[in-house]
Amino acid sequence: MTKYLLGCICSLLLMLPSGLNAQGSAEDRPPVTRAFFLNNAFVVQSPGKVIDLGGVLIRDGLIQAVGKDLKAPADAKVLEADSMYIYAGFIDGLSNLGVPKPKDDENANRGRGQREYNPSYERAGIQTERSVTKMLSAEDKDLSEMRAIGFTAAHVVPHGDMLPGQGAVILLGGKDAGKMVVSEGSSLFAQFQGASGVYPNTDMAIMSKFRELYQQARQHKMHAANYAKNARGMSRPAQNDVLEAFGPSIDGERPIFFAVDGIKEMYRAITLSKELGFPLALADVTMGQKAIPAIKASGASVFLTLDLPKAPKEDKKEEETDAEKLKLEEHRAAAMKMHEEQAAMLTKAGIPFGFSTVSAKAKEVRDNLGRMIKAGLTEDQALTALTTGPAKMLGLSNVMGTVEKGKIANLLVTDQPYFAEGANVRYVFVDGMPSEYEVKKKKKKKPGDPDVKVLAAGTWNLEIDVPMEQMASPTLTIVDDDGSLSGRLVSGMGTTEISSMSLDGNNLTFSYTTDGGGQSVTVSFDLTIDGDSLEGSMAAGSFGSFDVEGDRGPK
Amino acid sequence: MFKQSLMLFLLLTVSALAAQVEKGSIHIKNGTVLTVTNGILENADVVIENGIISRIGKGLKTPSGAKVVDATGQFVMPGIIDAHSHIALDAVNESTHPITAEVQTGDVLDPLDVGIYRALAGGVTATHAMHGSANAIGGQCETIKLRYGTYNPSDLKMEGAPRTIKFALGENPMRVHGEGGGLMSRTRMGIEHTFRRAFSEAQQYLAAQEAYTKEKASDPTAVAPMYDRRLEALGDILKGDIIIHCHSYRADEILMLMNVCKDFGIKKLVFQHVNEGFKVAPELAEFGAGASVFADWWAYKFEVYYSTAYNAAILTRNGVVTSINSDSGDYIRHLFHQAGKTQRYGKLTDNEALRLITLNPAIQLGIDSRVGSLEKGKDGDVAIFSAHPLSVYAIPQMTIVDGIVRFDIKEDSNDQRLDPDPEKVDMMMLDYDEDHRCMEGTGEALLHNH
Repeated sequence: MTKYLLGCICSLLLMLPSGLNAQGSAEDRPPVTRAFFLNNAFVVQSPGKVIDLGGVLIRDGLIQAVGKDLKAPADAKVLEADSMYIYAGFIDGLSNLGVPKPKDDENANRGRGQREYNPSYERAGIQTERSVTKMLSAEDKDLSEMRAIGFTAAHVVPHGDMLPGQGAVILLGGKDAGKMVVSEGSSLFAQFQGASGVYPNTDMAIMSKFRELYQQARQHKMHAANYAKNARGMSRPAQNDVLEAFGPSIDGERPIFFAVDGIKEMYRAITLSKELGFPLALADVTMGQKAIPAIKASGASVFLTLDLPKAPKEDKKEEETDAEKLKLEEHRAAAMKMHEEQAAMLTKAGIPFGFSTVSAKAKEVRDNLGRMIKAGLTEDQALTALTTGPAKMLGLSNVMGTVEKGKIANLLVTDQPYFAEGANVRYVFVDGMPSEYEVKKKKKKKPGDPDVKVLAAGTWNLEIDVPMEQMASPTLTIVDDDGSLSGRLVSGMGTTEISSMSLDGNNLTFSYTTDGGGQSVTVSFDLTIDGDSLEGSMAAGSFGSFDVEGDRGPK
Repeated sequence: MFKQSLMLFLLLTVSALAAQVEKGSIHIKNGTVLTVTNGILENADVVIENGIISRIGKGLKTPSGAKVVDATGQFVMPGIIDAHSHIALDAVNESTHPITAEVQTGDVLDPLDVGIYRALAGGVTATHAMHGSANAIGGQCETIKLRYGTYNPSDLKMEGAPRTIKFALGENPMRVHGEGGGLMSRTRMGIEHTFRRAFSEAQQYLAAQEAYTKEKASDPTAVAPMYDRRLEALGDILKGDIIIHCHSYRADEILMLMNVCKDFGIKKLVFQHVNEGFKVAPELAEFGAGASVFADWWAYKFEVYYSTAYNAAILTRNGVVTSINSDSGDYIRHLFHQAGKTQRYGKLTDNEALRLITLNPAIQLGIDSRVGSLEKGKDGDVAIFSAHPLSVYAIPQMTIVDGIVRFDIKEDSNDQRLDPDPEKVDMMMLDYDEDHRCMEGTGEALLHNH
């Protein structure tokens, strides 16, 4: 559960009067202080460089001081950090964090019927002139989930097809999209994603179109330059924003970031860079160890995917004895290993890299990092790939990547070393403002007991471990009308009447249907009541299942 | 200036293609060597050094470091070449336009396709990785060597092989772009028009470029025509830099395309499938067009009913350079059987039949100076069989590409995939599809049309 501390106060105030509709605009007040102090912590300034029991002073979004024997200034809020670990916030090499996915447009169904033989640039997915900074939303759920595991900055790109637009490095926090942006136009984003139903649809047409656009951009640039020198008597170059956007890459100043799905796409991107001569960055790389000479020769910045294939569920019915199936399982396991040890192998080959999360799920990232470490990556190497490595490759080493005076106060605070089993993220600072995370007590839901008599009626204050603040702390009022239970759930989402609930012993279950982003979602609660407290889970269709705890409110 | 940067671009392209390809040395001893160009040598050796055949003869010395293969009692032939295949490709049709001369299957090679290994297990060492037949003018194709084991797509390219391009006549392009696309061309007349208009536009493009080249020396205000990859590729066909390989069935259309080519001065032309080729064999021979046919496969759609298994023999006897192709991930595994059928239907000699799957496809692809026969100086691409390859009892034993053993029946494991799914064990046989990919990517793949 994520809350900005100051935001937290506001939402608490709103929730207090027994859960009346908590909507309404909280007036944005300036924070009480923008100075924070963390002390007596292990400050991992950069991979391998640790200050034992040191402090970090943050002021106005920057790291003001780092070291031993620091004193808390009077105006600084002191946060509990004894024996905790402070790292530089992680940097994501490529993602769509903070960039809402556009609603499926009409293009999706335009493949059939009358063909469009000369699609516009936009229809063909060629939108190099667009900047992702015009699409940012601080409200994005993926962004807050990624922040909760330590990411504080990301190179983000627009959604789209072959050339969706220009990327930017943003901070993963803040309310104002404008203030999130650290560096605009830092990349041109490309991927092997064909336009639906029109040219270029396959990778072979994307390759050809890319070459053509790049050559045309060169030609256009030269024509414009000649015209600027010698306009008289020369035909005028047409205004063309799409081609002009290639300019900085032609000059070698702006990398073209390719998100590659698999080793073949990586080779294709390298081929284009080699032919055309633009600076290349490869993101979402897999099986990189099978292309080491080509990667080295390309000089590309490399970002490995933080997604890993999932191991099949052990089916422990009976021992497999079929020799061929055993052999196939051996091959499968070897393929899995190849993915897990990619990071270690590239390190061994001397190829620096960062990570990209564009196809990774936040809740799997820490597991996946653990698997890479188990496969031979050292913790310091992993930390490098999360902090100093990407900072350097994105050209932002002077403002982020380490815990040093003067850098943007992007920090991650954990109760144990980050990669240790069971380590919890306690604070994440973005641009000098903290989010605090409670340590989750993992409780197993007690099974319901049909023979126990409990009292369900009353008002319950629930805490639901759901990444939506409006739904996190609802109030449940249960009315017992002669053994027939009904209720009302009041949350930041509104009020829901529940006409029927079932109580079997101490096991309370009920469900209702709600609208979740345009689709109908059935929300089911399965709770066990124990005196004046309850616990259990809430399942919300494809959104997943979430832990629920609650206490009976005063009568 | 632009011309210079274009030259630089081309140079870079060439260097990008020159990948480091693995080559080996092998001494094949004491086999029956079917040279194709120089008769049959009994109890003879073939020595390959650093990927090139260095000697053929009896009792040769093994070069130092060479692998020795005992072929006693076995038959050694040049690696089989398939002039029409879609294995090792991630995409086959860019079916979004009737003319896609600028796209290249060489950009979407799939070195991880286990179909490459399956083809090797049928003695095949090189294939023509073709664009599909959805468009009147399809994409450029890539002649590849089956260097299975590499992860780098470019390693498959047969470096230095001439450029080729796929054209298509008849029902496929008519259906995809006429009926399906609601545009050109609905009829066979329209297909001809598509060619003529495309070549005319390319002529204009070349003329504009030439005019610019002349003008810019004296006129600083001259502006180059906007770079257009489609017209560049069509222009390269007009210049004779690209061999046309045209999907065709009917005799009238075959004559039509030869007339179009004559009108535009295009000489390099090979017809694919060409089921009615036997009707116009003298005309094909006179033009100098090649024919790459099926042994006995037809009647899968209306325009392919008038066919005969004697096609290859009739074409051969009329002096047409003829090959037998697979167009299939299955047939490619027994092209030697397909060639053998021409002895039952047409009484071709052993050597004529073998030429259909070796030297003749090499000629059609413009690579006959490098492969297609066992000769000193040619590439070390060899297939070894347990019996004469035209015998139904022959079993491929070993397939060698550039002196590297890429298939050895003794080392054959059940799972030869290079990238098995890490998430689940999938049984190989479930993956095995006898796939016909000519119309893949058109939404009609299930209709099974060539």
